[in-house]
Amino acid sequence: MSLYTYLLIAAVIFTVGAYGIITQRSGIKILMCIELMLNAANINLVAFSSFNGNSSGQVFALFSIAIAAAEAAIGFAILVALFRVRDTINLDNIDILRW
Amino acid sequence: MFADYAALIVLLPVIAFVLTLFLGKKLYSGGALIPIAAIAGSFIISAGIFLEIYPDRMVQQSMPWFAGMNIGILIDPLAVVMLMMVSFVSLLIHIYAVGYMSHDPAKPRYFAETSLFTAAMLGVVLSDNILQFFISWELVGLCSFLLIGFWYHKPSAAAAAKKAFLVTRIGDVLFLAGIVVLYFNMTEIITKGSFSIEHGNFILQFKTMFEAIPHIAPAQLTLITLLFFGGAVGKSGQFPLHGWLPDAMEGPTTVSALIHAATMVTAGVYLVARTFPMFVAAPDALLVVAYVGGFTALFAATMGLVMNDIKRVLAYSTVSQLGYMMLALGTAGAVVGAKAVGISMFHLLSHAFFKALLFLSAGSVIHAMGTNDIREMGGLSNKMKITSTVMMIAALALAGIGIPYLDIGTAGFFSKDAIIEGAFEYGEIKGDMIPYVFSIIAALLTSIYIFRLWFMTFTGKPRSQRHPHESPGVMTIPLMILAVFALLFGFLKEGFYVYLEKNFELMEVVIPVHEGEPFHPSVIVVLLPVIVGVLGFVIAYLIYNKRILNMSKIISSGNPLYKLLYNRYYEPKIGADIIGVKLTHDVAAQSGEFVDRKIIDGMIIDNIISNTIFKFGEMIRKLQTGVVQNYASVTLLGIGLLIILLRIGVI
Repeated sequence: MSLYTYLLIAAVIFTVGAYGIITQRSGIKILMCIELMLNAANINLVAFSSFNGNSSGQVFALFSIAIAAAEAAIGFAILVALFRVRDTINLDNIDILRW
Repeated sequence: MFADYAALIVLLPVIAFVLTLFLGKKLYSGGALIPIAAIAGSFIISAGIFLEIYPDRMVQQSMPWFAGMNIGILIDPLAVVMLMMVSFVSLLIHIYAVGYMSHDPAKPRYFAETSLFTAAMLGVVLSDNILQFFISWELVGLCSFLLIGFWYHKPSAAAAAKKAFLVTRIGDVLFLAGIVVLYFNMTEIITKGSFSIEHGNFILQFKTMFEAIPHIAPAQLTLITLLFFGGAVGKSGQFPLHGWLPDAMEGPTTVSALIHAATMVTAGVYLVARTFPMFVAAPDALLVVAYVGGFTALFAATMGLVMNDIKRVLAYSTVSQLGYMMLALGTAGAVVGAKAVGISMFHLLSHAFFKALLFLSAGSVIHAMGTNDIREMGGLSNKMKITSTVMMIAALALAGIGIPYLDIGTAGFFSKDAIIEGAFEYGEIKGDMIPYVFSIIAALLTSIYIFRLWFMTFTGKPRSQRHPHESPGVMTIPLMILAVFALLFGFLKEGFYVYLEKNFELMEVVIPVHEGEPFHPSVIVVLLPVIVGVLGFVIAYLIYNKRILNMSKIISSGNPLYKLLYNRYYEPKIGADIIGVKLTHDVAAQSGEFVDRKIIDGMIIDNIISNTIFKFGEMIRKLQTGVVQNYASVTLLGIGLLIILLRIGVI
């Protein structure tokens, strides 16, 4: 498999994530889509690292995964708290700070 | 040697102020010992400087400040006698206050403020330029505000503090205007080249001001001196700005003694004495000084006759005596030149001693009785022997009782008679007896009201069910020291006059003296002040002790004259209600508010500035939809656009 294949897969995953963010209304789905986009970037990092014989890209990917885990934990915690207060996680209804 | 530490005279009480304010709670008697020690230090340095510079030298220290002005110290004869008096009287009052304020929980604040007050007053006295003088002067005003309102939880005390602050402010504004006019004139004569400042001197120094007198236009000089006198009128409680002083009795009695008898109110007289060469060069202003002073002396004495609050009687007495000092500067200044400063300052000093004594005795009585009203007192002389004796001495001094020609008498006898004789001499020479008539009638009234006070308080039957007791030693010992001064200070008269007369010669300022025969007052002129003094004593004795003359017809609210006096010529009504509330608040402040709210705020800010911004904001806030998807789409679109631009090589 060539580098190109990996990059193509990553681009497809990224596009799926971006599409999801724009079209979905549910907070959980949006979070999942963000994870998809992050992992697309990770795939790119690992692919370049492997093909260039330089392992620092893989270290970046590990950091990125750890940060993504923390970010997901915070995001879901917010959504749980929000659900307890408002009984919904539909982001269209969460707009009290709007004009 | 002491002169090197002249700055410490002011700095010691300032340090004491800071220490007492922050550490006083944990120390003995609210930290009273710190100010006492500091002021004792100021007194020792002042006295040391006096011994060094006596009889014909002075201390001058100065350093540049900004814009051709300076900060400096000038201790000439005039200043050094004031320094000693202020620090000495203040020291005694601080010691007395340890006893008087012993039950007050806010002692640290009290002692800190009185200490700062003393520092400010000493700062006024030893300033060598008018700007520094003004700054200290304002500090004195601030401290007076704080101390009059010391019991700020009492509405009447808060109101009195406010009144004192606002009324003296009128004078202060005039004083400041005088400084501005003076500065303007000085720069003008300097740019014209008719006058130049010597090397090492500064523009607003007293010395430079006196040198510039011949170069300033007479009309301008009259304006400047009248504006200065306006400041003095406010600070020294002269008519028509006298109303704050009797109201200021709301503060603790020690404050009244310190500020409203001995020191602060004399600042106005001191200002006129300090700038005396300018007043002499402006005879019109001097005439105003004489008339305002003479009128105030009489005017305040009439009100002193009918007051029932022991401190208020003394307050009017203070106003009246300050009038005498002004009268001395105004009348004697026109005929005997620089000697007038000696005459006025001698009365200022002797007044400081006996008036502080009167106030502190009154404080001792109030401490024992728990009331200010002399109608509730009576018969106290058995219970309070020391207080009644020293107060009698002070009353004799105030009434000016003594034996003419033998030169034996109380301090007030020497100092006040000199003023009255000076007024007579002025009348002889200028053909204007009105100031003399004012002063002689005021002397009669002074004697009546002060002995009325004494007889009402100390003789007769007790008129209330209280159990007074003599005050503790910490209070009576200062009283006795002051009594010694009230009795014996007068004997320094001749030496004092000679010493103070040289004051302006030291600064190489020549004050013209009226040409002609030396003045020898006739027998009647010498005797009359004492005769009216004794007459007043007899009248008061007959009415208030023996009760032979029945005055109930005259002293009743049915008598319009009594009503007028008792209501203080309706001054509180006119001053507070008409000028204060109606004119200032209702007219000036309301119209100001109208302009501010309706025109500036309403039309300009609301309509033009704020509305435009508001509408623009209203327009663009719609961009923030609050829908996350919109933001994400726009972000993606932006990135896509960026990539395309990069590909086609625009960026």
